[in-house]
Amino acid sequence: MFAHIFLYRFKCLIRDRQLVFWTLVFPILLGTFFYMAFFNLNNDETFHPIDAAVVNNHAYQHDAQFKFVIEHISKGKKRLFNLKVASTQKEADSWLKTNKVKGYFTNGETLRLTVQESGLEQSIMKRFADQYRTDSSAIKSIAKENPKALQNGLLSDLGKQQSYVKEISGGSAKPNNVLNYFYSLIAMACLYGSFWGMKEVTDIQADVSARAARVNIAPVHKLKAFIAGSMAALLILFSEILVLLAYLHFGLSIDFGPRTGYVVLTALLGSMLGVSFGAFISALVKKGEGLKVAILLVISMVGSFLSGMMFLNMKYIIAQYVPLLSWVNPVNLLTDAFYALYYYDSLHRYTLNMTMMVFFILLFCGGTYLIVRRRKYASL
Amino acid sequence: MPVFKLSLKIFRKNWVAVSIYIFIFLGIAIAISANSVPEKSIGFSQEKAKVALISEEKTPLTDGFQKELSKSAVLIKLPDQTEKLQDALFFRKVTYILRIPKGFTQSVLSGGSMQMKKTVVPNSVDNAYVDLSVDQYWNLARIYAKHEPGISQQQLVNQLKTNLSGSTPVTIKAHEQAKTANSFSMYYFNFLAYTLSAALIMGVSTLMVVMNKRDIKRRNFCSPLRASSINGQLILANLLFALSAWAILILFCFILDSKSFGTQNMVYFLINSLLFTGSMTSLSYLIGNLMKNLNAMSAVCNVLTLGPCFISGVFVPQEFLNDTVLKIASFTPTYWYVQANTRIAKLTQFGWPELSPIIQSMALLLAFGAAFITVSLVVGKRKNLMNE
Repeated sequence: MFAHIFLYRFKCLIRDRQLVFWTLVFPILLGTFFYMAFFNLNNDETFHPIDAAVVNNHAYQHDAQFKFVIEHISKGKKRLFNLKVASTQKEADSWLKTNKVKGYFTNGETLRLTVQESGLEQSIMKRFADQYRTDSSAIKSIAKENPKALQNGLLSDLGKQQSYVKEISGGSAKPNNVLNYFYSLIAMACLYGSFWGMKEVTDIQADVSARAARVNIAPVHKLKAFIAGSMAALLILFSEILVLLAYLHFGLSIDFGPRTGYVVLTALLGSMLGVSFGAFISALVKKGEGLKVAILLVISMVGSFLSGMMFLNMKYIIAQYVPLLSWVNPVNLLTDAFYALYYYDSLHRYTLNMTMMVFFILLFCGGTYLIVRRRKYASL
Repeated sequence: MPVFKLSLKIFRKNWVAVSIYIFIFLGIAIAISANSVPEKSIGFSQEKAKVALISEEKTPLTDGFQKELSKSAVLIKLPDQTEKLQDALFFRKVTYILRIPKGFTQSVLSGGSMQMKKTVVPNSVDNAYVDLSVDQYWNLARIYAKHEPGISQQQLVNQLKTNLSGSTPVTIKAHEQAKTANSFSMYYFNFLAYTLSAALIMGVSTLMVVMNKRDIKRRNFCSPLRASSINGQLILANLLFALSAWAILILFCFILDSKSFGTQNMVYFLINSLLFTGSMTSLSYLIGNLMKNLNAMSAVCNVLTLGPCFISGVFVPQEFLNDTVLKIASFTPTYWYVQANTRIAKLTQFGWPELSPIIQSMALLLAFGAAFITVSLVVGKRKNLMNE
């Protein structure tokens, strides 16, 4: 009997094309849009050598040291500038105007910088000029105190810049913040799955829908029918989430970290969370279907917003200022679980998220059971 | 005008669905206006990277270093916990985490090779920028220690401070900048594309779907009204709806950013958005003629508004989008609308060479509108013939 109900509920649910659209097609489309829009976003952060120019005037030709330093820093793979030498100030100006260079240096009594606007690249150019000026002033003051220093290799010591910082990675994964959009998208898809749960409850309460009335007439234990139906809903949602994950990973090459097993486990818990949440709200709210849909939509959209789906830093802001909210927001729990799996080496935070989810699932299932059980209908 | 009246009634019934989009939009617009429009400063301002500095030792030199670093960086305090630091880096609360190990100062002064540890967003500009300041400070300290062996740490700090105090004079050769460049109005008008599309599809298409229902249509056609009058009234109602949606949204822009309204750029913003409204109205009219029932309405509305907005630079500026994506986007009116907007925002001169690309985009908007209308007339005619 269980198998029979399961099969027919499955057939009944899968024919709801609107629900399939919102829980499967829509997240896939949205993921594609995200991918197209955010594809290049991180390239903007990457450092490219800055297009800079220097005016080839009298002072520049005769300042061998400056010439050496600026040419040195514009060479090799790790160069700071793509240096162009302008024969006159006028030429440099025209380059600046047509955006061929971000700025140019003019050597004279003091080194000057000409730019079009303030910006990070211009600041780097200024920093370089400051540095040059500082080094010369340091040499002067050392030579004044200790004239022998110049013979003791002061200049060559200055030339031998030592690197005092070593890059260590914070963890094994790159801090690629665009990923969070996709994690919260999956979380949103799971929560949209609550519509399946809602449908389940609607179809088991005889005072709500005609189909439920028919089911209740059958000599099957209500719990049994309900569990069979919920399993069908869960199976559909879980498969949809797996399809979504596969599309994101293989189609759009979104990185989920190396722990695939845990990713699938998270998807399973997420689907259970979605279905049970929908069932619970549907059982709790007695008034019309419109209200139920509105509540589910509002909770999943606000939840997605708070976990950074529309505005990335929202997730961080909430975690910093209202940490409690990030632990009771089911969308954030899911997003954070994916995030922790990708980004952290330890599973501590992931386990915390999963525990909270299990707690919510138990709460929703228990709540639904208590509300739906033992309902008898004298007349309908 | 009974059909016109009926249309208005349907719009009123549909008001909630449409207003949700408008309210969400206004919320976001206000959020943008509250935080993202930076005051343009006169003169050169040094950019600052966001750095978390964790020092495991406290010496006069590390203190001096911290002060120097704060010239080119905003120092952000973070608790020294791996996950907290990782979080901050992921969400770009900081872009550079620097850790000074114990015994580092001593090592530098005695010419050792001990290094500080940094965790950064790999290959970022901020990384290159902060490295410059960090390396310079400690290199100078090393050289002083070597060539002035008797110097105390405090003296060294003071010496470095004097050396580092100079600042390179910077000349800014800016050309004239439009008042509306990067202004709130530019963002507002770009974002308007999303809300307007959603509101128009929700409103106009819903009306058309209802009016096209077979029974209602038959009822209407057996009334003593000429078909052209019925259609005329319908079109009138749709235009009225589109114009009022446009006007309401423009009104809010006026309230939120009255500064830009005096500019000549605003005239072009208004023309552009009006043309966009026109082409979206005709698209909605087409959708209304194609769809059979209202069940799929919100699905169609979401896909048709979100999709073009994402790929045409409404949510993410066009300069950040991939070329292929932009090529695809150029098949939507939204793309041309955003393109014209971005150009208009930067206008300082209003001669033909500056205006011609904008007018071209606008002409394309018109063409889109005309194309949608033509298709929907053909579809409508076909449907009518099939029904009879």
